[in-house]
Amino acid sequence: MIDIYFVQQIINGLSIGLVYALIAIGFTLIFGVLNVVNFAHGEVYTIGAFAGLMLITWIAPPVLAIVLMVLAAGAFVGIGLERLAFRPFRRFRDEASLKSRAMREATLLSSLAVSITAREVMNLAFGSQMQTIPHAYLLQRPIVFGQLSITVGDLVIFVASALMLASLQFMLFRTRIGLSIRAVSNSPLGARYVGIDTDRAIVATFAIGSMLGAAAGILVGLYDGMITPQMGFAPGIKAFVAMVMGGLSSIPGAVICALILGVSESVATEFLASGWKDLVSYSFLIVTLVFFPQGLFGVGRERA
Amino acid sequence: MMNERLLEIRGVTHLFDGLTAVNSVTTHVAHNELVGLIGPNGAGKTTLFNLISGFITPSEGEIRFAGRSLAGMKPHRIARLGIGRTFQNLRILPNMTVFDNVSIGALAAFGHTPWQALAGGGGTVSRRISELTRDVLDQVALSDQAGVLAANLSYGRRKYLEIARALATRPKLLILDEPAAGLNDTETTELADFIVGLVSQGITVLLVEHRMSLVMSICHRVIVLASGSKIADADPATVQRDPVVLESYLGTGE
Amino acid sequence: MASAVSARKNVSGPTIPPAVLKAMLAIFLFIIVPVALSWIGGGYLFQVATTTLIFIILASSLNLVTGTAGLLSLGHAGFYGIGAYAAALLSTRLGLSFLATLPLAGVAAGAVGVLVALPTMRLVSIYFAVATLGIGEMIYVILLNWTGFTHGPMGIRGIPPIDLLGWQPGTPLFDYLVVAAVTALSLWAMSRLMHSYYGNALRAVREDDQCADAMGLNVVRLKIEAFGVSCFFAGIAGALFCHTAGFISPDQFRFAESINILAMVVVGGLGSLPGAVIGAALLIILPEALRSFGDFRMIAIGSIMFLSILLQPKGLLGEASALDLLRRQFGQGWSGNFATRVGWR
Repeated sequence: MIDIYFVQQIINGLSIGLVYALIAIGFTLIFGVLNVVNFAHGEVYTIGAFAGLMLITWIAPPVLAIVLMVLAAGAFVGIGLERLAFRPFRRFRDEASLKSRAMREATLLSSLAVSITAREVMNLAFGSQMQTIPHAYLLQRPIVFGQLSITVGDLVIFVASALMLASLQFMLFRTRIGLSIRAVSNSPLGARYVGIDTDRAIVATFAIGSMLGAAAGILVGLYDGMITPQMGFAPGIKAFVAMVMGGLSSIPGAVICALILGVSESVATEFLASGWKDLVSYSFLIVTLVFFPQGLFGVGRERA
Repeated sequence: MMNERLLEIRGVTHLFDGLTAVNSVTTHVAHNELVGLIGPNGAGKTTLFNLISGFITPSEGEIRFAGRSLAGMKPHRIARLGIGRTFQNLRILPNMTVFDNVSIGALAAFGHTPWQALAGGGGTVSRRISELTRDVLDQVALSDQAGVLAANLSYGRRKYLEIARALATRPKLLILDEPAAGLNDTETTELADFIVGLVSQGITVLLVEHRMSLVMSICHRVIVLASGSKIADADPATVQRDPVVLESYLGTGE
Repeated sequence: MASAVSARKNVSGPTIPPAVLKAMLAIFLFIIVPVALSWIGGGYLFQVATTTLIFIILASSLNLVTGTAGLLSLGHAGFYGIGAYAAALLSTRLGLSFLATLPLAGVAAGAVGVLVALPTMRLVSIYFAVATLGIGEMIYVILLNWTGFTHGPMGIRGIPPIDLLGWQPGTPLFDYLVVAAVTALSLWAMSRLMHSYYGNALRAVREDDQCADAMGLNVVRLKIEAFGVSCFFAGIAGALFCHTAGFISPDQFRFAESINILAMVVVGGLGSLPGAVIGAALLIILPEALRSFGDFRMIAIGSIMFLSILLQPKGLLGEASALDLLRRQFGQGWSGNFATRVGWR
């Protein structure tokens, strides 16, 4: 007999995992295209949540509209981020400097700096305490399937993620811009030789990745009911872990590993006090880095 | 008894992403020999060097140095055993002085520990490193530029700096990767004399070169690689007349 | 980079001999500052000075591993925390005195550092950076949740102040002098490490580790050593902190603090010991001086860090001519001038 509570934990874990997956995709896309880690990505998630809160407080549109507007906000933030923290360091147009260690370290530090600043600005603007989402918007109503009880939020996350993943797939493989993104991921110099506008592809990558991240933020906000400016830090790290586990440049890999992380975390709360649950992801991180440098799904070859 | 053959390469094969970069190469370098390794581009020469240095491991075969197998050894262990090398693209540290660059090589000879650092410049190890560095700088005639930043050296002098650093590791075997690249004729002749001088001091030298004049004039023996396989291994005169060698070079403009 | 770059400008013009410089610094640190601060008002000012010194140790040790050896570490505060908690627990539970807790805290942090470095050192730099981030966070989670041992979020209170063999005045002035002494010693040791042939080895590892390997340097061992030493000094700083503050809690050793310290190193100039010192002093004293802007501290730090990287990647001790003298001064101490000093004296 399968313990129904256990199944519940798994479903819980899956919805957490899907959130991590949405954030992880942003990391993976950006890493694929620029070979750098975007430390500010976690803050995009937070910004998404707060943008949603602001929309609710000012305009109070229906939930679907909020999500769409947050997507737009996310894209906007992503483009701005690229221009601010990443583009200035791509001073030269040759292969050597695109991959150069100095550039990568510089953008690492600059995105780190931007993320701290963004977090603190939000702290100042909204206060570091939790903000609650108005009750009417919450997705916490339970839906009961026999003995199983999940919330509307879970369902929304599943459906929304599925939609977003499907659109992403479509965009990457059926549109021009998706093709250019894939080409630049593969070989930036080669892509340029073939006439693809690498800068545009990079900007598009940031836009898309940030849209997904921001969407994750508002979904979690509606699900949990409470948001704080610090909320992006831990999920950001966990999404990064998922990306590394998945082999760095593989989106399906990142998604699967994010789900694994989410479920592990959820199951772990059974055995450990909740304060320790972050340890699960950090342990996964260390274990993966040390024992599976290629990622769990092979092709983890870092480009030079 | 000293092993006649200092470096032995037996049936070494290396596969690289499905390509056979080095194909069952067997050869050797004897004590105090000056051996040249030539071949068209892509013949596997640099791969062979990287195999000897320990950056990559052979898929098959083994490499022995002074009678010891190098299988599984990390590059720094191999360097300490007595194989010093230079790189084709001059990997000197541009932001450090000539003196400090060479001292890197000397560090390996005497060991490097934090305690040695705490003892300061007067400590025994530091003094030995200073001495060795100064000697090597004299050897390559860079003493007067010891305080200059490596980035400010002329190209020709930088080549000698790279060699000096390798010499500071007190190698028994010195592997030079295209030492004459970018040098004019006069400089090449100077370099040739210098290398011969090294050999006369007891060092064994294996070099990769494209400048035939250098190779044929000073090497005791020449090994020819093409497409990963060894196609000739004899004294310069014989190799120059070998039809297989000549054919492999046709069409490459060498 | 800066101390290597210092040799770039031909070291000419009068410079003060290093011995005199050290004497001057000692006088400044042990006589001028205490006298001045006592005269102005003492108490709180001494605390600021003490904090500055502690962060000078933290920034310099981070600089040793990140600036000199090239290993970006994002978890430095975690080791600071290990040192602080080790000293706190040793003194409150076992009644050990400062003279014991100080070195033991360093050893504890250093040992954990080596333990952590052993499996992770083969990672490429960005992975290693993230691994250190993860480790820093793990340390925080453990400090927060292992309540039986660390009292969790309540922290540890009642930590005895600094005592030297029974002599325990507990005044801010006394604390300052002891901390200054430890800082001076630590800076001396780190300076020796960085400005030596060993330091050259670390720089070689930073610039081109594959080549360093081929030259016979045991790259992995060097990296682990550098990391261990830097964690040792972070632990020392932690012990100093806990004995001067009297109370510690996990929140003081989070990622934000690691970034704080990193910012000091970046602003001052990666690879430069004096740069780290100045960076630390700036980022502590400035916000204190602008107390009214207290809330904006992290924003200021983040922005300064960003601007530093963008405009002045070599940090303050890069090409700024106003600080030329400082550079020449410190640059003279090591490889700059072959004419007067061959190798190391």
